[in-house]
Amino acid sequence: MRHARIIFEGRELDIDIDSEDRITTTSGEVLNVTLDSDQITWLPPVKEPGTIFALGLNYADHATELAFEPPKEPLVFIKHANTLTGHKQISYRPDNIEFQHYECELVAVIGKSGKNIKREDALDYIAGYTVCNDFAIRDYLENYYRPNLRVKSRDSLLPMGPWIVDTADVPDVMNLRLTTAVNGEITQDGSTKDMIFDVPFLVEYLSHIMTLNPGDMIATGTPHGVVDMQPGDIVVCSVENICSLETRIVSEQAYYGDKY
Amino acid sequence: MIANTLVKSKLVCVALNDKHQLTALQDSFKKDPYKKPPTQPVLYYKPRNTWNVDGAEIEWAKDFDGQDVASMVVGASLGIVIGQETCRVSVENALDFIGGYTLVADYSLPEQNYYRPDIKGKCLDGSAPVGPKIIDSSSLDNLDDLQVVIKVNGERKSLFAIADMERGVAELISIISHIMTLQPGEIIAVGFAGDRVPVSKGDTVDASIEGVGTLTNTLGGA
Repeated sequence: MRHARIIFEGRELDIDIDSEDRITTTSGEVLNVTLDSDQITWLPPVKEPGTIFALGLNYADHATELAFEPPKEPLVFIKHANTLTGHKQISYRPDNIEFQHYECELVAVIGKSGKNIKREDALDYIAGYTVCNDFAIRDYLENYYRPNLRVKSRDSLLPMGPWIVDTADVPDVMNLRLTTAVNGEITQDGSTKDMIFDVPFLVEYLSHIMTLNPGDMIATGTPHGVVDMQPGDIVVCSVENICSLETRIVSEQAYYGDKY
Repeated sequence: MIANTLVKSKLVCVALNDKHQLTALQDSFKKDPYKKPPTQPVLYYKPRNTWNVDGAEIEWAKDFDGQDVASMVVGASLGIVIGQETCRVSVENALDFIGGYTLVADYSLPEQNYYRPDIKGKCLDGSAPVGPKIIDSSSLDNLDDLQVVIKVNGERKSLFAIADMERGVAELISIISHIMTLQPGEIIAVGFAGDRVPVSKGDTVDASIEGVGTLTNTLGGA
């Protein structure tokens, strides 16, 4: 089963999506609409988002691309819900920068609280998986708590969704193809099997530092193949058997409108 | 997570905002891995598992082998409580967005360096008590007159003047609000004394600012 949050006919709804793409609200109402309908506004799929853990340099090829030695210990940074937006929504490119790139990532969504979780028990704590696009503004990198919040904590720059797939429905999460397409052309093509620190390891590692709670998310890093994005570009991040996440880039002024 | 935290949705902390500390570290910040001094505020989050309250016992941290860590430290800061949605505000208008003030203590492992996000040192459960309460923004006149005092077992260990911050409150609110839209109840810990205070198991720590209050916590593990 897949789970999402949408706005449909003016109502904010928690929905389940079955294997034949039938949509049912969690209160049992069947929605007569298809998944690709423009009548659906997709919200970020985690209803009460908690702490978002994101991995840097977690694919060896991407670390090399950025001229880094692969890390010996996970490089983890934290994001909050201000960064989240849904499928088919907009993200912005800040003014006067040279290089903004997407990062297609598998996301593990924590389903129950745990501390000191063992690797072999890790999947019991994961409710399901989704996809995010963890945009980065490389111009803003500084060598203090890198990647710093100015790079990674901006409004709208973490699209996620459209849905969460139950853990039980993803038999081999460490062998899924990830692709990103910009304006229809594939620019990033990797596999979760190339992660340096895999999902069970990350659950074990983080839960030895702190308690993980339902609604926390782990964005597991991105493989090789990042390119610059410009307003007007459409970027689609896909993870095999999970979902495809579409985002349109707009200018900073278009995004903030009156508050620009 | 505790239910009665005063923090809503986000606790942003500003590191390296003590002028004297920045001066002292100037030379090392020109070398690897930093290469040059910071040009922007150095920010980190204390995530929701860290939020705690006045009076709480702070858990003594354990390492990955389950053994007690050798040392912990504490810093304390004035906490700015956001009063209304704060998006891209100017320095001139920034203070209008403050809803109240409180104290934030940050218990952590000793700060080794500032190159990578310090998840292991900063994200310990219950390590960010906030309180004892939120006072209204109208109750303080001049933030630059404030001093943050840390006492351990009654003895003063640290005194930090808000006037010694590299960046003031208004500038920080403005800069942060251009990165992220802040929501009511979110808190910014605007600056800590550069020298964090070592603590031991069983210690009682009072963090205080005159007119804001005293935030008292004890260290566990004794």
